[in-house]
Amino acid sequence: MPRRGWIGTSLVAAALLLFPPLSGFHPYYLYLVSTALLFGTLATSWNLLAYAGQISFGHAAFFGLGGYTAALVSLSGLSPWLALALGGAVGASGAAAIGMASARLSGASLALGTLAYTEIWRGIAHNWTAVSGGGAGLIGIPPLTPLPWLPLDLARSRTGSYYLALAFLLLVIAVFWGILRSRLGLAFAAVREEEERASLLGVHPLPWKVLAFALSGFFSGLAGGLYVNMVRVVEPDLIFSHYFSILPLVMATFGGLGTLLGPALAALALYLASELLLHPYIPAFHQLPYALALIVVALYLPGGLAGLLPSPSPLPKRGEGETRHGAA
Amino acid sequence: MSSHTFVQALLSGILLGCFYAVMALGFSMILGVTRALNLAHGDLIILGGYLGYWLWSGSGLHPLLLVPVAGAALLPLALLCQWLFQRLPEPKELSSLMLTFGLSLLLQNFMLGLWRGEYRIIASEPLTASVRVGSLVLNQGRLIVAAAALILVAALYLGLTRTRWGRAVRATSLDREAAALLGINVDEATRTTFLLAFGLSGGAGVLFATLHYLYPAGGIEVTLLAIVLTIWAGAGRLRSVLLASILLGVIETLTLTWSGPRWRELVVALMLLGSLLARSGGLARSRSR
Repeated sequence: MPRRGWIGTSLVAAALLLFPPLSGFHPYYLYLVSTALLFGTLATSWNLLAYAGQISFGHAAFFGLGGYTAALVSLSGLSPWLALALGGAVGASGAAAIGMASARLSGASLALGTLAYTEIWRGIAHNWTAVSGGGAGLIGIPPLTPLPWLPLDLARSRTGSYYLALAFLLLVIAVFWGILRSRLGLAFAAVREEEERASLLGVHPLPWKVLAFALSGFFSGLAGGLYVNMVRVVEPDLIFSHYFSILPLVMATFGGLGTLLGPALAALALYLASELLLHPYIPAFHQLPYALALIVVALYLPGGLAGLLPSPSPLPKRGEGETRHGAA
Repeated sequence: MSSHTFVQALLSGILLGCFYAVMALGFSMILGVTRALNLAHGDLIILGGYLGYWLWSGSGLHPLLLVPVAGAALLPLALLCQWLFQRLPEPKELSSLMLTFGLSLLLQNFMLGLWRGEYRIIASEPLTASVRVGSLVLNQGRLIVAAAALILVAALYLGLTRTRWGRAVRATSLDREAAALLGINVDEATRTTFLLAFGLSGGAGVLFATLHYLYPAGGIEVTLLAIVLTIWAGAGRLRSVLLASILLGVIETLTLTWSGPRWRELVVALMLLGSLLARSGGLARSRSR
C-alpha cells in the first residue's frame, strides 16, 4: 500500500477511535475497548522487537514490571502520571536486562529464556512480600488525577484511561513508523536479516538488540502501568500471567509481522471478538480464538517465524526480506 | 544444617528426583524424535492429574491403579499432536514453541472449563502416612511415587534398549533420514514415541496430584522443570535424565531446606535461564553427542 494510503487509514482509524467515548458508550464497553487498545500497544511493541529479529515469549515480564512500578509509585503518594512514566522506564530497564542475554541466546533459546524471565519476576513478586504484597498483591491503586491544562475530566467513567490507551497506541505506532524510515530501522533490519554480515560491516548487533528490547519494554511497561491503573489491583499471577506474553505474540504474527498497523488491528479484532462474542456465552473458552490463531500461524505462516530470523545458509536470500517487510 | 537434616534432605531429594525423571521423560522423548519443544508438556501432566483426581474422587480406588487409566486417556491426544507436529515448518524448535504455546492455552482453558480453576489434590489415606527408617522419617506417598517412577523408567529403558521398537526409536532420534534409508519405519517409531510419551505424562500426572495441588495454570512450572532436565541430560537420554533428575531433586531439597519452600518456582526458572546461557546453542544439539 502506498504511504499516503497508510496515513489515510490511520486518520480514519483515529477518528473512529475518538468516537466511542463521545457518543456515550457504557463504561464496561469503554473499558473493553481501552483494554483492546492496550493490547494493540503491547502487540505493536512486540512487533518492534521482532523487527530486530528477537522473538519474545516473555512480554508479560515487561508489562508486569511496568504495572508493579506504577502501582508502587502511585501508592506511595506520588502523581499517577509520574507513576506511569516510571513504569515505562522500569519496563525498558527490565527488557534491556534480558536483552543482554541475546548476546548468547537466539531463536528458540531466547524465546525460552524470556519465558523463564517472566517466571523469575512472578516468583520475586510472590516472595518479596514487603514490597510487592506477596501473592495477595496490592490494592487501592489511586486513579489518574486531572491535569490543569487538559479540559477533560479524566477520572470520570473510564474516559481518561480510554484516551490514554489510545494515545499510547498512537505513540508506539508513530515511534515504530519513525524507526522504519530511519537509520535505526536499517540497523534493526540488518541485525535481523544477517547478524554475522552486519557485524562484519561494523554494525555490532548486541547494542541494537538491547535497544530494541528497551524500546519494546518501555511501551509494554507503559501499557502495564495503565492496565493496573484501570483495574486498580495488581497481583503476581494476574500481571505476570503468560496471557500477556501469548496475546501480543498471537496478535502480531496474525496481524502481519513487520507491518506497521497489522498487529494493532489484529489486537482490536481478536480481543473484541473474544470478549464480546465468546465471553458472554462460553466464558471458560473465551481465549479459544488466541489459541487457535496461534496454532494456525505456527503451522501455516509462510516460513513460520523463521522468516524473521537470520537465514541459516551463508548466502543471503535476496529480495525476500524486502517483500515481506515491504508494506512497512 | 546438622548432618541428620542433611541426610534427611538428601534422601528426600533422591526420592523427588525419581519423580522428576518421570515428569521430564515425555518432553525429552518427543524432543528426541521430532526436534519439537513441547511447551504444553506440563499441561498434559496437570490434565492427567485432574483425570486421576476426578476418577479417584468418584471411585475411591487406590491412586496407583489410576496411573494407567489416566495414561491411556491421553493417547488420542498423542495421535492428534503427532499429526500437528508433523506439519510444523522449519526451524522446528521455534515453530513448535508457538504451536505448543497455543496448545497449552487450549488445554488450560479446557481444564478451567471442566474443573473451574479450584485447587485439587488426591489426599489418599495410605499415601499420607510416614515411615520411620532409623531416625529418618520418610513420607510413604513419596516413597511409593518414587518406586512407581523408577519402575516406569526401568520398563522404558528395557523397551528402548532390548526391543526392535526401541532400536528403531533410538535410530530415528539419532538421524531421521539415515534411519529411513536403512529401512526403519520412522513414522511408526515416531507415533509409538508420542503414544508412550503422552501415556507416561498422563500417568505421571496422577503421581503429581498425590504430592502437589493441581490448578489449571500450574503446568508451566512442570514444563520449565522438564526443559531444565533435558538441557542437563540431553534429549532422549534416559539414564542421563534419571541422573539429572536426582541431582536436581537433591539440589532443590537442599536449597529449600536452607531457604524455605516459597522459593521453589523461582529456583527452577533461574536454573532454566542459567542453563540456557551456559549452553547457548540449540537444545536439540545435545542429541549428537
